[in-house]
Parts: sequence; C-alpha cells; structure tokens
Amino acid sequence: MKNEKQSLKAYKMKQKIIPYLFLTPNLLIFSIFIILPAFIGLYYSFTDVNLFHMDEFSFIGLQNYIRLFSDKEFLAALGNTVLLVVVTVPIIFVSSMAIAMLIIQPLKAKGAFRATYYWPVMISAIVVGIIWNWILGGQFGLFNTFITKLGFASSDTLINPNFAWWSIVLAIVWSRTGYYMIIFMAALLSIPETLYEASEMDGANKIQKFRFITYPSLRAARLMVFILVTMEVFKTYPIVVKLTAGGPSNATTYTVQYIYETAFSTTYEVGYASSMSMILLLFVTILTAANFFLNKGGTD
Amino acid sequence: MKKAQIYHYILAIILIVFFLGPVIYIIFSSFKPSSELFSASPTFFPRSFTLDSYVEAFKKGNFLTYIGNSFIVAISSTALAVVINTMSGYALAKFKFKGDAFIMMIILSTIMLPLEVIMVPIFSVLKTLGMYNSLLALIIPAAATPTGIFLMRQYLVTIPDDIIQSARIDGASEWKIFTRIIVPNAKPAIATLAIFSFMWRWNDYIWPLIAISSPKKYTLQLAIANMSGQYGSDYSSILATSAISMIPMLVVFLVFQKQFVQGTVNSGMKG
Repeated sequence: MKNEKQSLKAYKMKQKIIPYLFLTPNLLIFSIFIILPAFIGLYYSFTDVNLFHMDEFSFIGLQNYIRLFSDKEFLAALGNTVLLVVVTVPIIFVSSMAIAMLIIQPLKAKGAFRATYYWPVMISAIVVGIIWNWILGGQFGLFNTFITKLGFASSDTLINPNFAWWSIVLAIVWSRTGYYMIIFMAALLSIPETLYEASEMDGANKIQKFRFITYPSLRAARLMVFILVTMEVFKTYPIVVKLTAGGPSNATTYTVQYIYETAFSTTYEVGYASSMSMILLLFVTILTAANFFLNKGGTD
Repeated sequence: MKKAQIYHYILAIILIVFFLGPVIYIIFSSFKPSSELFSASPTFFPRSFTLDSYVEAFKKGNFLTYIGNSFIVAISSTALAVVINTMSGYALAKFKFKGDAFIMMIILSTIMLPLEVIMVPIFSVLKTLGMYNSLLALIIPAAATPTGIFLMRQYLVTIPDDIIQSARIDGASEWKIFTRIIVPNAKPAIATLAIFSFMWRWNDYIWPLIAISSPKKYTLQLAIANMSGQYGSDYSSILATSAISMIPMLVVFLVFQKQFVQGTVNSGMKG
C-alpha cells in the first residue's frame, strides 16, 4: 500500500515535469537566439561598440539616440520606408481583395488561376529582384524595347530614382499579392450564401451587395491582411538587393538595409546600428499591438 | 456564356500574364545565347535555344556546393522544426502546468522580434557560441518558430483527451504517447509546417547574410545575391542559377498545393 502511494506520488511528479521537457528545445532556442539578442541589442544601443572591437567599448548613454535624430541618411531611410508602406500596403490590400473576389467566381480552371497567382509567393526575394531587374533595367531590358515599340522614347528606367522607387513597389505587389489573395479567398468563401440570397430578394444590386454584405463580413480578414502587409513592407530589404541595391543615390534604401550597412559594411558601428534597430522594434511593436487589439475586435 | 463571365475570363487571363509572364521570361532568357541576351532589342521568346548559361554556371564557382548547402539547411532545419514545434505544441495543448500562460506569453512576444530587428546582436551571439560561419547557425536557430508552435497547438487541441488517457492507463510512456498517438494524428498540420519551413529556409536571405562569411558555406540565395556583374557573361549564369533555384519550390508547390492554401489561411504563417 505504501509502495503504491509512493509510486503514485512519483508518477504525479513526473507528470508535472513532462510538459517542461517537451518545451525545452524550443525555449532554449528562443532564449539564446531571440530573447538574449534582444537584450544585448538594447544594451549595445547605449554603447559605442564597433564590429572590430567587440570587447572594448564604453557606455555612452543616449548619445546614439540623440545622433539618430540628426542623421539625415537614417531619417531619409526611415521616411522612405514609411512612404513605401503608405503606398504599397493599399495597393496590395485592394488588389488581393479584388483578385480573391474574381477567383471565387464560377470559372473553369479556377484552381489553375489560383495556383498561378500564388506562384510568385514562393520565389525568393533575391530572385524576384533579379527577375524585375532583368525586365526593367538598362538598355537590354524587355520594358525598354516594349515602350520604344509603342513609340515612346527609351527610358533611363532603374537609373531614374522615381522609376527605381516604383519598381520596388511593383516587385513587392507582384510577389506578395497571391498570398493575401488566399486569406481573402478563404474569408469570402465562409460568408453564408443565404445572406446574398436574402439581399437579392430585397432587390440589392452588385454594389450594394458588396457594400452591405461582402465588405463588412471581411472585417477580420481585412485587419489581418492590413497588419501583416504593413509589418512585411516595413522590413523590406532582400527584394531590393538585386533589383536596385538601394540606389540610385539611396532612392530605394530602406531602414533594414541602412541598419545592416551601418553595422556590417560602412562604419561598423554596431552600437549605433543597434539604436536604429530599437526604433524599428518600436514601430514593429506598435503594429503588433495594434494587430492584437484590432483582431480581438475583429472576431466578434 | 454571360457577359460578366466573359469579363471574368479576360481579367483572369490578363492576371496570368502579369503573374506568370515575368517568371517565364527569366526562364526563357536563361536558354538564350549571350549574343541574344545582350541584344538591343530583346524578344520574349528565345530565337535560339542553348544551354550555355547553365554550363557557365556549373563551371563557375561552387555551384553544386551552394545547392548542396541549401538542401542540407532546408531539410535538416525543417526536420528539427517539425520535431520541436510538435513537442511544444503538444505540451501547450494537452498539459496544464505552472507558468503555462507565461510561456505562452514569451512565445507570443518572440513574434514581435523579427530577425531584421535583432540581426546585429545575433551576430555576436553566433560568434560567442562558435557557430558563426557554420551551417548549424542556419539550421538550429531558425527551427524554432512561434507560428509553428501555434499551428501545432491549435491542431493538437482537437485530439480527444480520452485516447491519451487510455494510453496512459495502459502504461505507455509519455514519449511513446507522443510518437505513437500524437504524431500520427497531427499529420496534416505537420505537413503544412514542413512545407512552409522548407520554403522559408530555401528562400532565406537575411540569416545566411548574417551568419555566413566564406563562399564555401554559401546557400544558393546568398550565392546568387553575391554574383556580381550587371552585364557580361556573369549575368547569364545569374539567370541560369535563378532558374534552377526555383525548381525545388515549384515541385513542392505542385505536390502540396492544398497545404499551401491551408497554411496561408491559418493565421498568415510567417517564418
């Protein structure tokens, strides 16, 4: 009897430890590679640590942050990023919703259309950059040939800051719309058909149906897509690498690239770059918090 | 056919040209001879087919090494991700324990720390651990994804507790319950996680950029990004390498389309 009790106790102890054991590998990786670096980054942001003197550095208080506010290049990159977000997000938002509405129509080969629109999602950002650079860039580009055939003068394309800037927007829209199309598609398919039938009996036209049924029903999906795209565009960098490399003259340099270059290729100021990361983190945190609260409101 | 339907088809076909055209063009270009690649009036379809660009790409550098590295990283990181994320998902779905809410919060908070934000200190962590410039730095850290844990947790919650309890009464060990009951029941979620994980790792650029320095350790993406030369013979091998780099994802996509749709719908998976 005593033995049984003891073994029951041992069993209960074991049961208590087991979930922690299952969680250990993940938590270990999170702690070492995400949480620890986040604190190190915060610490670095108050120091003058340099990539080549990682062991000797001094604490300089808020100097990095003060410097940020007068660093024209950083402010330009941050402003450029915000502008990219403001322009690109609505385009992806509207086009992915519109294409999702098209794809749920009774078309033959619907699946093939859907798969084709999704396909660019799976191409790496580096290769997306190469594809659009090859089409838009230089005198050998297909784009230039095309517009000269239409009778326009050949354009300086990617050497032109404005053209380069919009080519980034195009590449992002091209490679990401299919992804958000799927989210909208699933949400559209979950709208009960009876709502539309009832509205038809009341004599609603297409625009009214969209305005009073479709659009309100997509509330949760709209919020999710909006926040996900915003966060994604905020971190734009790999797509730029082979498309414009941030140029011409920093016209397409966004925050992440500027942070990377400050730490690893221009001045090697790891401390200073860390303070920029903290600003980026601030933006991302606000967005995530907004996502969290808005999505809670979106599930009603 | 109704008029509206005709418009739908026209629109759908225009969109196909927009989404597929650029990919086809790059693939066609990779089969053009370099005289045609750098002609002042390029055509969409190649005037003559050649494999020169591919031969060039194979001859140059460590092309096979890059592909090999990419496969090693994508496959082993995915295998690791599946194992540890399923384990965590199981713990969070089927156990009540002290600190479970806290652990959930920690996992949630890691979503807010994308790699782009912590890339600078990650570099020093990798250096300190001696993992800098090794493929392990691309395999292990990336395997733990908060979205992976959530996907598994959400799915495993739906497994009835009864099966687990009766296995316990039959004296099965916890590990046995996990491998014999949980894993087989979680196959659809595991497939989704595996496919997305493979895609993330195959297409990854920022991790290799931070963690790898010697060309022998380059993944395909890093190698393509570092191929220089806007023009000249270099560009033809860039095109060929890019075309080849798309093949594995094309195959995975054609086979697992359903899982892609499922994974995208589920909370917008982000690696």
